[in-house]
Amino acid sequence: MRGFPFHAFILNLSTMAPLRAVPPLSPRILASRIGAAILSCALLAAPAAFAAEGPAAAVPPDHAERMRAGLDTFDKEVRGILSEHCLKCHGGEKKKGDFDLALRESLLRGGADGVSVVPFHPDQSRLLKMLRHEEEPYMPEKKPRLPDAVIDRIATWISQGAPYSAPLVAGKKPERDRSQVSEDDRQWWSFQPLAKAEPPAGPQSHAIDRFLLAKAKAAGAALELAPQADRRTLIRRATLDLTGLPPTPEEVEKFVADSAPDAWPRLIDDLLSRPAYGERWARHWMDVARYGESSGFEQDYDRTGSYHYRDFLIQAFNADMPFHDFVRWQVAGDEFEPGNPRALAATAFLTLGVFPTQITVNELERVRYEDMDDMLSTTGAAFLGLTVGCARCHDHKFDPIPTRDYYRMLSTFTGTVRSEIDIDLYPEETARQKAAWKAGMDQILAEKSAAEEALRKSLARFLEKDLATFPAPQAWSVWTPSQPKSSGGAKLTAQPDGSFLASAAPQAPADSYTFSGPVPLGPVSGLRLEALPDPSLPKNGPGRGNKGQFQLTRITAKLRDAEGRSIDVPLVKAVADAKDNSSVESALTGKPGWKVEASAGRANTAVFTFGEPVPARPDTTLEVTLEFAGGAKEAVGRARLSLMVGGDPSLTAATVDARVLEMLQARRQPASTKEREALENWWFTRDAGWQKTEAKRLASVKAEPTGLLKVLVGSESYPAVKYHTAGGAVETYKETYVLKRGNVALKGEVAEPGFLQVLSRAPENRWAWKPPEGAKYAGRRRQLAQWILDDKDGAGALAARVFVNRLWQHHFGQGIVPTPNDFGRTGTLPTQPELLDWLAAELLKNGGSVKAMHRLLMTSAAYQQAAVKDQSKLAADPNNGLFLRRAPARLEAEAVRDSMLAVAGLLEPKLYGPPVQDEKSSRRSVYLRIKRSQLPATMVSFDQPEPLASQGQRPTTTVAPQALVLMNSAMARTCAQSLAKRIAQTPDAAEAADEPLRRAYAVTLGRPPDADELSAGIEFLRAARSRHSASGTAADSAALVEFCQVLLSLNEFAYLP
Amino acid sequence: MNPLPFLSRREALLRTGGGFGWLACAALLDRTGWRADAAPSNPLAPRKPPLPARAKSVIWIFANGGPSQVDTWDYKPELQKRDGQTLEGFDPKTGFFPGQVGALMKSPFEWAQHGASGTWGSDLFPHLCKHVDKMSFIHSCWTGSNNHSPALFMMNTGITRMGAPCVGSWVTYGLGSEAESLPSFVVMSDPLNRGLPKGSAQNWGAGFLPSVYQGTWLKPSGEPIENLKPAADQAGDAQRAQLDLLARLNRRALAQSPIESELSARIESFELAYRMQTAAPEAFAVASEPEHIKQAYGLDQKHCAHFAAQCLTARRMVERGVRFVQIYSGGMENQQSWDGHRDIAGNHRGFALEADQPVAALLADLEQRGMLKDTLVVWAGEFGRTPVAQKADKPGRDHNPHAFTVWMAGGGVKGGFHYGSSDEVGYKAADNKVHVRDFHATLLALLGIDHEKLTYRFQGLDQRLTGVESAHIVRDIMA
Repeated sequence: MRGFPFHAFILNLSTMAPLRAVPPLSPRILASRIGAAILSCALLAAPAAFAAEGPAAAVPPDHAERMRAGLDTFDKEVRGILSEHCLKCHGGEKKKGDFDLALRESLLRGGADGVSVVPFHPDQSRLLKMLRHEEEPYMPEKKPRLPDAVIDRIATWISQGAPYSAPLVAGKKPERDRSQVSEDDRQWWSFQPLAKAEPPAGPQSHAIDRFLLAKAKAAGAALELAPQADRRTLIRRATLDLTGLPPTPEEVEKFVADSAPDAWPRLIDDLLSRPAYGERWARHWMDVARYGESSGFEQDYDRTGSYHYRDFLIQAFNADMPFHDFVRWQVAGDEFEPGNPRALAATAFLTLGVFPTQITVNELERVRYEDMDDMLSTTGAAFLGLTVGCARCHDHKFDPIPTRDYYRMLSTFTGTVRSEIDIDLYPEETARQKAAWKAGMDQILAEKSAAEEALRKSLARFLEKDLATFPAPQAWSVWTPSQPKSSGGAKLTAQPDGSFLASAAPQAPADSYTFSGPVPLGPVSGLRLEALPDPSLPKNGPGRGNKGQFQLTRITAKLRDAEGRSIDVPLVKAVADAKDNSSVESALTGKPGWKVEASAGRANTAVFTFGEPVPARPDTTLEVTLEFAGGAKEAVGRARLSLMVGGDPSLTAATVDARVLEMLQARRQPASTKEREALENWWFTRDAGWQKTEAKRLASVKAEPTGLLKVLVGSESYPAVKYHTAGGAVETYKETYVLKRGNVALKGEVAEPGFLQVLSRAPENRWAWKPPEGAKYAGRRRQLAQWILDDKDGAGALAARVFVNRLWQHHFGQGIVPTPNDFGRTGTLPTQPELLDWLAAELLKNGGSVKAMHRLLMTSAAYQQAAVKDQSKLAADPNNGLFLRRAPARLEAEAVRDSMLAVAGLLEPKLYGPPVQDEKSSRRSVYLRIKRSQLPATMVSFDQPEPLASQGQRPTTTVAPQALVLMNSAMARTCAQSLAKRIAQTPDAAEAADEPLRRAYAVTLGRPPDADELSAGIEFLRAARSRHSASGTAADSAALVEFCQVLLSLNEFAYLP
Repeated sequence: MNPLPFLSRREALLRTGGGFGWLACAALLDRTGWRADAAPSNPLAPRKPPLPARAKSVIWIFANGGPSQVDTWDYKPELQKRDGQTLEGFDPKTGFFPGQVGALMKSPFEWAQHGASGTWGSDLFPHLCKHVDKMSFIHSCWTGSNNHSPALFMMNTGITRMGAPCVGSWVTYGLGSEAESLPSFVVMSDPLNRGLPKGSAQNWGAGFLPSVYQGTWLKPSGEPIENLKPAADQAGDAQRAQLDLLARLNRRALAQSPIESELSARIESFELAYRMQTAAPEAFAVASEPEHIKQAYGLDQKHCAHFAAQCLTARRMVERGVRFVQIYSGGMENQQSWDGHRDIAGNHRGFALEADQPVAALLADLEQRGMLKDTLVVWAGEFGRTPVAQKADKPGRDHNPHAFTVWMAGGGVKGGFHYGSSDEVGYKAADNKVHVRDFHATLLALLGIDHEKLTYRFQGLDQRLTGVESAHIVRDIMA
């Protein structure tokens, strides 16, 4: 990796001046300066105001004199002018256009549009042009132009160096320069290395509890943990939390009865081992990854290869993929594990964002920067909990992320594009499938050769006994003319099947193919033209048009004798097999002709009848011409001609090898091995048994497993997915530039890849990595991942904190940092930073095992607290930053729906695969299709966020449309009906009338009803039965359905206890 | 429900914090999922606007595809004169088809002055021209993209990319809704199968705001809102009995719950849903209107019956307290919408014919009911069109982001008033230019909202509709 001009960034403080490239220092000097530069940037910040004057702004020799005079101009005139006309909007009450002229420093730094005052150089000062209304925006805005005399005074003052005797706003100090990262910035808690905190001492056995109680004590709150929840609550909480599904009644009873001390950790291990765990926790990360399955914008095309990313997540969680790999694979799986297709599939993380599908030329570059911004912003939010994207247009206002850092990090993705490629994600599985397929195929082949053995014997008998009397068959035979000619310059190449494939792209406005050759057998009653598909043709053909279409405007035939004299052979009838065959007749006389448009990739056949049969004569040649008035873009791409000997030239007539036809007609024995083989083939095809076996063989050939799947990836190695782009698009650019205000028209220097300075405690080459020779990837993403994970000198401590905080948030309802995607200054401070650091260190210590973290968090007494109302705690800690109480939480959209399906007995346990479109499906909600223009309505109504930007947490709303889903949706009714059936099954006719109610409570809520609930239920059922006109069991079951729907709507059912 | 300390703290915030600070704050607290027993905080509860409000509701007729300013409301005598001449300085990349740029083309419509204000209007709008004295026109609007979907996103969400909340979502987030039994923000699209606007549902999406603020799209056919009808097999008052049982069971042990108020809100949400089942269909029952109203809107006219029904629905919605209604005039693009790339005369004539009478009737109807003063009616598309022709057998006009005209009526705007102007041929906004963000700031101001204070914390920023650049309120149009 080339040395980053990291020093340049620090030394070149003139970012306020128009950006300019800084020549890189030699690596030696660079190396010696980097360390010092990092430490001394605060000192270096001082000369900023001078550097801002820019290269062209030479300081005149008499500058001191001028400045002195200028002070006078300022005090007597300009101060008043600026204060009266400009200051209110620019530095006084407001700072419009980011331009502040209250101070000389800020005046010279310029505004969002760049520098507008160049001291000593009124001619280079744009401010004057705006004042003179020569350049927009005219100033003062929406006011009359200032008198010339006034503007002249300002010009004079600028020519005098624009000095200030004092700020225009008394006491105003220069703002800090946010393009610099200071040692102070590094002191922000989340940018620090992990504190080596040992859990505090205390009587509690679990470290987390000791941390929490110590913090409570320190805060002066004499609070204790709430008592442990009862066992029914615990198993329900753990099961919903880890799998997103409620426990079954059997599981509940087993756990309640299990008094062994390790029952709880065993339960956790059991839950973690279920595939449902991965489905649940993958969905949490899908919010963070703004996971969607379509492009968004105009057409919102489906991205059929997206779901492999979702499956990767499910597999990763279930396999307890270490945290480090989880990060590496998503940022640069292809670079870390080049041979591993699943690591490549994980890179879809980068490209899941929306992308416009209809772009004007003007927008191409902007769209590209936006796409990279999406990759960077999502990476920053997901792994670093930082709003890196804020630094796109200006230095981050709150966090130490200068714009230049943003673009240097952005350039990591310079070549990274969104591709959909065919790869085998599961080669082991494919190998298994292939072995099974081969066994099947071998059997078919054995059957086939046995059948052929028998048929050869019968053929021998036929040749011996029946040939002499066998009537000559009427059949098509492929005609093999000599090399055909194209009038338009197409190259026609003979193919083994007797067809001719067109290539070369001639410009001729019209084309025609002429085929000529002897007629070997006669009389010929008709001609067949097959337009065949071919992978070399657009959309696989059969035409040469860009959609695979063709238009045969005319077909003619003639006979030529040995002397070259010719006569036309009229074609009188035409039939085609395509659905638009009505036009084929017109090919006999000219336009429009046989037009085939909507059958890309399929063979199309037309048959033509000669007015009179053409005899086979050795001295004549048949000539057939196919005309394409539209030229190559309308021509057939791969043509095969056949002749009908005898018989009716129909579409359905069989095709027989010409040599066989000749032998049968001549009633002669085969004279060569080739002839014998041809005859055998003909004989075989006449046998129904053989045909069946052959059909099986062909079907099996087609069904050979390739394991290939369409997979969305993000990398430099494959062509980008293309959309409708006006005027031939370039998807990527070789360089990424530092942009002013995020505007592609305002390019500064080239941004070399780099990282956030504030999170880099070593020279950047610490994370350098060079891809192997011949690799298509740039290695930049791997460097980024290495930096993200470096917990000593890079961003690793932050990344680990961010990750464990997400785990904590899902288990405890809110994060230790309540803003999971923002660990910067705009985020909320952690109440328990020591605990967070300890947890992050535990994650790193245990090799990044996520399952180990679940165990750690869930075995704490804090996790197991009962949700009880405690006014004193509420008063002492209203935000629950101490985590000494718990409250039930509304289940997420997915868990609400999945729980309903589960208790209804409808949930399909199938894992993975393409998304399902129908919300009425019984698959888990994680598999519902996320088409951005048609998000699953139920999910949205229960607060599943829009997949447009990384979301670290969901809002929980309680609104009537949610109630309407439970009251009226087909899904709710189906679940209620199915649940009713489930609980109504009565093995024992003598059971008590309330038995179904008890079962319903056990299945839905994991507990028995109390007496009051029971009587309310019985009362309801009685009234419901009487409402139904039907009697007996119909009324019983209808009543039970209504009752079940009530249970599914209960608060208790919809809340994680 | 006990007033809990936290709740009263919030209330204190509300009382002392000057309203809107609280809004952002409340939403933030909701977002962070505090487990304290917060106020039930119905996210759609009506909130008093922090500043004096001129309008309470908005009906936005979105002329989709980009109507031509110089053929509708921006009369350009100079253009009529210079018909056929080349426009010096015209950038061929202004529109979508750089290769089809023609000469200046005069408006094919007849123009006349109307009302006491003497407002010029083309004969596309014989009905609306009778109401020009109710309208404030802004002739100097401009936007940032020459392509439909970015420009639609700009007009609706303030940025050209996907992902930000739309105006209607911001407004309902800010003000909640008076219509407890109806959606707070309703969108109607073309019912004649001509497609949704480019970018479809993203144009009324809540973006990063909670999804409860997204626009409710009324399906053009069948039941307009999902799940509004009980299942057919729910006999008689079965559902009422179900809800009674549900409430009874839900209320047990409620007082002991640490989230009593949240659970109470959920109990209440079922009752509200139950009321919605009757209230919403009643609101959609356009057929129940008296004959003379139906006729006035043009429900009996084939060419505009569909739009008439939508305008009438809009009035019924606003009457019932719905905060924000958007109706798209036209379908997706090209000849399916106001996107008159070819045959501008035929294209605009057709879409004007659909909308003219219904919108005019809407204005009159709102006025006679005394609702116009509280209802802001907006007519705007996503951009304008070029004064030069787009060459075709029947010439059209290409996209033009540099100038377009919008009008507003009612809701505290001046009548017969014109603000800003485009250049002499209507190519670019010239005087008092109004960017889309200025338009948004003005719209919010009319509703009593300071656009700089209506914020939502996302990705570390207090996001706002008008973005980071400063936006100007067009105060001149306010009555």
